[in-house]
Amino acid sequence: MTVQLGYDEDHALLREQARRWLAGRVTSAELRRLASDARGDEPAWWKLLSELGWAGLVAPEKCGGTGLGAVALAVLCEETGRALLPSPLLATLLASKLIELAASDAQRERWLPRIASGEALATIAHVEASGAWEADATSAQLDAGRVSGAKAHVWAAPTAQLFVVPVREQAGSDASRALRIAVVESNAPSVTALAEATLDASRRQGRVHFERAACDVLAGDGDAAWRAWRPWAQTALAAEMAGGADAALVMTAAYAQTRVQFDRPIGSFQAIKHPLVNVLVAIEQLRTLVYTAASALDAGSSEAPLLARMAKAAASEAYPFACSRAVQFHGGYGFTEDCDAHLYLRRALASRPAFGDAREQRAAIASALLEGGAELP
Amino acid sequence: MANELDELRARVREWVRANSPPAPPFAVPQNALTVQSDEQLEWLRTWQARAYDAGFVGAEWPAEYGGRDLARGSQRAIDAEFARAGAPFLVNNVALAWAGPMILRYGTQPQRLRFLAKLLRADEIWCQGFSEPGSGSDLASLRTRAVREGDSYAIDGAKVWTSLGRFADYMILLARSDANAVKHAGISYFLSPMRIPGVEVRPLIKFTGEGGFNQVTFTNARIPADALLGREGQGWELATATLSFERGASEGSAGGSSMGGVSFGELVQMLRSAPPALRSDAVVRDRLAALAIEATALRYAGARQSLPGLIADRPQAIPLMGKLTGSEHAQRYTDFGLELLGSGATLWKDPNTANSGDWAHSYFNSYAGTIAGGTSEILRNVLGEKVLGLAKSR
Repeated sequence: MTVQLGYDEDHALLREQARRWLAGRVTSAELRRLASDARGDEPAWWKLLSELGWAGLVAPEKCGGTGLGAVALAVLCEETGRALLPSPLLATLLASKLIELAASDAQRERWLPRIASGEALATIAHVEASGAWEADATSAQLDAGRVSGAKAHVWAAPTAQLFVVPVREQAGSDASRALRIAVVESNAPSVTALAEATLDASRRQGRVHFERAACDVLAGDGDAAWRAWRPWAQTALAAEMAGGADAALVMTAAYAQTRVQFDRPIGSFQAIKHPLVNVLVAIEQLRTLVYTAASALDAGSSEAPLLARMAKAAASEAYPFACSRAVQFHGGYGFTEDCDAHLYLRRALASRPAFGDAREQRAAIASALLEGGAELP
Repeated sequence: MANELDELRARVREWVRANSPPAPPFAVPQNALTVQSDEQLEWLRTWQARAYDAGFVGAEWPAEYGGRDLARGSQRAIDAEFARAGAPFLVNNVALAWAGPMILRYGTQPQRLRFLAKLLRADEIWCQGFSEPGSGSDLASLRTRAVREGDSYAIDGAKVWTSLGRFADYMILLARSDANAVKHAGISYFLSPMRIPGVEVRPLIKFTGEGGFNQVTFTNARIPADALLGREGQGWELATATLSFERGASEGSAGGSSMGGVSFGELVQMLRSAPPALRSDAVVRDRLAALAIEATALRYAGARQSLPGLIADRPQAIPLMGKLTGSEHAQRYTDFGLELLGSGATLWKDPNTANSGDWAHSYFNSYAGTIAGGTSEILRNVLGEKVLGLAKSR
């Protein structure tokens, strides 16, 4: 089946709005100020972007959201990624999506309006200390309606107010030991969240410990919700990475035009030009995959999971590649704190493992093609 | 619109199914590079004429010039159905994909009426005279001369890598009409007859062992003055426009497909039925998946290009990347297929095995893709300069 790509006037307007909003605010100076800030993001920005409807971008309208789809999410993420926006926005959007996919109507009404309005920062607490990130690997236990367990590398922890956690029902309490998705409020007693020291200061994360913490167990099947949610996460992060990679390329191309050595702009040398074109090709192919995956999600296509993996695999290579060339082609300056290249490089490396790195995606893609009977989308 | 295209696709599928010719007693070439014998040419010419008569060649071109006036996107849909059905390729490839679109865009009314309908039906075969023994990537250094004498030009010089040269009735020819003008300014573009005194075609053998390639020598060959396309001295501009069609960066092809050969799908198929030790190898699987990702990105590039909002930052990137990325992808996966054959890859058309050398043949031919119409190295210069705005390389 061929996926029909979708992109309309509303998407273009959202991109324009995001670009304008971000360009005026998220300057190099602000990025450096926030890098040494304890919280790591700007609360005033959170308030403003919530008012723009971004925190509720993908939440249904009847839950106070904007009700937009995956293509819109990709647009917003591409632009925030381009700006390196330090914000719990992506964490919140993905948490909101997972709640929507797992919750009953009443539970959606309970949580989504708070998130969409910006009142509650939410995040996904899904990664084990081992690095295992798929829901079925969760060691968090659900016993008599309370969650126990520990999660690592939780985006926006300890700032976030809501943790969305894949949990396993404990043996004995339920015959099936089913996977569930639970929402835990951070101010519940026996929830401990501590900041981790991170490679990338522009996306904060932490360790969260739940000790028989009160929670709201979402009504839906956890496995099904997770499988439906995973391509959203992979596509959104791939879009964010595409934006960052593109920003790194643009800044490097601009530098190669102005930096003169041997009496010529260094961009005239094919030793610079050809690798930059290789970066360009990788980024343009990545963007094609991102918007194809997002369009497939919006169309409810069965191709979406495979396409999302392809997008995340491409992003996990293109973004570090773009940043590596950015550092290298800025020469000695590229090795300094003053040059923005390392800011992108840090984000690229920190984003690479999230929701599966390239190697992991490719293993899954090969299984789909060779054993799963999948055709190329 | 989407419905009309779906109907068209269904009509093409049905027609190809009902009309595909039985295999002839000789090998059917898979692209214009490989046509060697008169019987091959005639068989392919007949196929193109039938496809034309059925309305599937020049579908978007104006009826006035032999086209069918169909909506944009129709030809691409037709070509895709032909390719999917494994139909023979359209032999007048140079004419359909770049010489013809050039005449349509830049020709005089008499030139259009004279040439277009005939090339659509393969009644007249075209070849291309751009590269010379001393002028490849530096095309503007070409030395073939065109000297105006009364109602004709006298052509002297040599052209190489001329696919279909042996069979061609006409050539799109670049020649220097003003020896005193600076490099690019002295070049003119001709629609030159081939079957005239002073034109000699000598076949060249490619490293696949096949002919199909030629060197063409002009010795005081007289071509009529009205063979000039555009103005004298406009040749470089027209050559650039031609290359844009040839690389698939400009829309307007009258039909036909690219290189043929083994498809990426066949690689997947080969691995599905490979011995478990090979199929379960993590490195093999990783490389297969990487190629599948690339194939998918290439497949959807055209769909993305049709949505202006998704290419607003770099409207030229995808068209200018097309040939580079497509040809390098083909080179990578055919090489990989060959590697997967293991020691079987040491055979080439061995009569005692089923291995007919398809993978090696396709891999070898992939170099035509990465060299012809601007090498990958030249295309990286073009992309760096036109899309990234980098300074010109010398």
